[in-house]
Amino acid sequence: MLKLIIAIFVGKIILFFTKTLKFGGGSTAPGFYALKIDPCSIEELSEFLPLSIIITGTNGKTTTSKLISYFCEQSGLRVIRNRSGSNLERGVLSALIEQIPFNNFLNPSSIRKSFDLCIWEIDEAAFYQISPKINSLAILFLNIFRDQLDRYGEINSIISKWNQTLTKISQKSKIVINSDDTNLLQILKNIQTQPVSFSITGEKIKGESRIKGKKYKSQATATNIQLLSLDQTKFDLIIGLKTLHITSPLPGLYNIYNLTAALTLADILNLDLTKVNIWLESFSPAFGRVEKFTWKDKKFYLLLIKNPAGATEVLKLIKSYITPHDQLMIALNDKFADGQDVSWIWDADFEKLNDLKLKYKFVLSGIRAYDLAVRLKYSGIEENHLIVEPDLIDAFNALIKSDSERVFILPTYTALLSIQKILTQKKIKNYYWQN
Amino acid sequence: MKLTITYLYHDLMNIYGDTGNVIALSKRASWRGIDIEVKNISVGQKLTKGLSDIFFFGGGQDEQQVKVSEDLVSTKKGEIIKEEVEKGVPLLAICGGYQLLGEYYQPIQGKNLQGVSLFPAFTIASNRRMIGNILINASSKLMLEKNNCLVGFENHSGKTYLKNKDQALGYVKFGFGNNGEDQTEGCIIKNAIGCYMHGSLLPKNPDLTDWFIKKALSYKYQREITLKKLDNTLEEQAQRQLIKRFEK
Repeated sequence: MLKLIIAIFVGKIILFFTKTLKFGGGSTAPGFYALKIDPCSIEELSEFLPLSIIITGTNGKTTTSKLISYFCEQSGLRVIRNRSGSNLERGVLSALIEQIPFNNFLNPSSIRKSFDLCIWEIDEAAFYQISPKINSLAILFLNIFRDQLDRYGEINSIISKWNQTLTKISQKSKIVINSDDTNLLQILKNIQTQPVSFSITGEKIKGESRIKGKKYKSQATATNIQLLSLDQTKFDLIIGLKTLHITSPLPGLYNIYNLTAALTLADILNLDLTKVNIWLESFSPAFGRVEKFTWKDKKFYLLLIKNPAGATEVLKLIKSYITPHDQLMIALNDKFADGQDVSWIWDADFEKLNDLKLKYKFVLSGIRAYDLAVRLKYSGIEENHLIVEPDLIDAFNALIKSDSERVFILPTYTALLSIQKILTQKKIKNYYWQN
Repeated sequence: MKLTITYLYHDLMNIYGDTGNVIALSKRASWRGIDIEVKNISVGQKLTKGLSDIFFFGGGQDEQQVKVSEDLVSTKKGEIIKEEVEKGVPLLAICGGYQLLGEYYQPIQGKNLQGVSLFPAFTIASNRRMIGNILINASSKLMLEKNNCLVGFENHSGKTYLKNKDQALGYVKFGFGNNGEDQTEGCIIKNAIGCYMHGSLLPKNPDLTDWFIKKALSYKYQREITLKKLDNTLEEQAQRQLIKRFEK
């Protein structure tokens, strides 16, 4: 116990310094060092924590956890959660260090009086490490797509790890899954309890593997989908005996999956789902997930890309709403958090961009800007319609100088972090770690 | 002129962006006015002799690789591919495809997967994953025009050993290559190349793409072919950017 308190104390100090000196958001360093002092911090704390919801999968974790957390907070629940993609063990511990006051740690049994629920987005490869240590009320599996193979390995190996982990998890945890994803259904073999599933009808995400013929029956179904604009989507959600008519500010089919998943969790938590449209009206999207901001009459949209399935959905979305007066910038880095193998860009459907007839040139940036340029050239875009500017600051300045009305920026993860920094320096945004 | 690319097991053996190779071949041919048809052939489908001008075979997951290995043998596709390659049809096989076209693949547990024996090489599974960017000096047999550097990204745990090291596609300058031991990378037999280089390989190595197109046309039309020069500035910059990083 003393070791744990020292670990938390050191974590608190590190958090204080990173925030005061603006090193970063303090979303990983406090937990990282606390784990060095007491590697069992999370197990030891878990008995004092309220129940948890765990969210994992390849795409949509951050948006879905932000949605369900927001719904809970709007319903008056006090939530602890990890933020902005800090979804490894150190991110979970950093969130606990940040959000729980120090005197609570001195008397851990008081934590449960101060909080009602924990919501954790967990990296699909870190799931096996973290989830057995936490008492969970529900575990949500969003989807499984091919992601950075150098980090995660093959889809089959992730599923088999999930399966092994599920045997170690209490049967009290409800398993919530996207039943449109056939690969995910493989995990049902290893659970004893009845799962809760959700699906959507009529539309399909590219790269998703679906069962042919008979569909798995799901408890929550999104239907009558209308993708109206970048700021508005409508659909009906049939959940249990209720039908909800939903108006969402989040564009794109993938966000209907995220929202359906979040509402399935909200239903398990017995939140009042009739309030969903009121909640959504004031919801702002997560860090870099169709994040919008305006600067000197120019509108910017920031959309993270990180793997072929996610990038193709983003390209589809842009294609539906972009006009010839808009401009597009794509930034590809190959650091560890981006995936060091950039081969995936050849599996993403950049061909969608070749008939846009944009007045302004494509701006390509990041460490692997030339790989992107080659990808776009081979997708059928004229070479003289490409500007290659590996330095992100120069690329961003080129966007600011051009007369384009709106700018869409598609960065990989570490490029997104750098762009957030640039936005902060230019005072377009406040501190970059804020959601 | 026209070329038909046979994309082998496109649905099972493409998880590392290897499709980029087929895109590169198609584009560089069509920029020169050569018509391209891409035929996808997978499990259960028939492969007919004489209809392919280039074969492409990518990498897949372990489970799929077992399925594909069985299909190559049971439907005699493997035999047909080997015969065609011996006649002079070019082929590019990456990672899993390269392994299956060797003599055999020995997994850590279980029975050996029988290969096609197109490449005189065999592969032994290991517990060590060889991941990272790779730079090789290509064999002089290729007679590449500008330089003999090839760049890509490797991600494999199988170690491939060549029966005869003179048949290597090239020698590793940075990275692991066939097995991380003998500096060789890939294998070249007639106009067939097998190797571990993703990236995708061909878009960043345009001279190699043109080598395939030239070999395919020369074989199909039975005469010496000279290809029209294309502007490779972007491709070469993408390659140079990686080489520069290795030199640091």
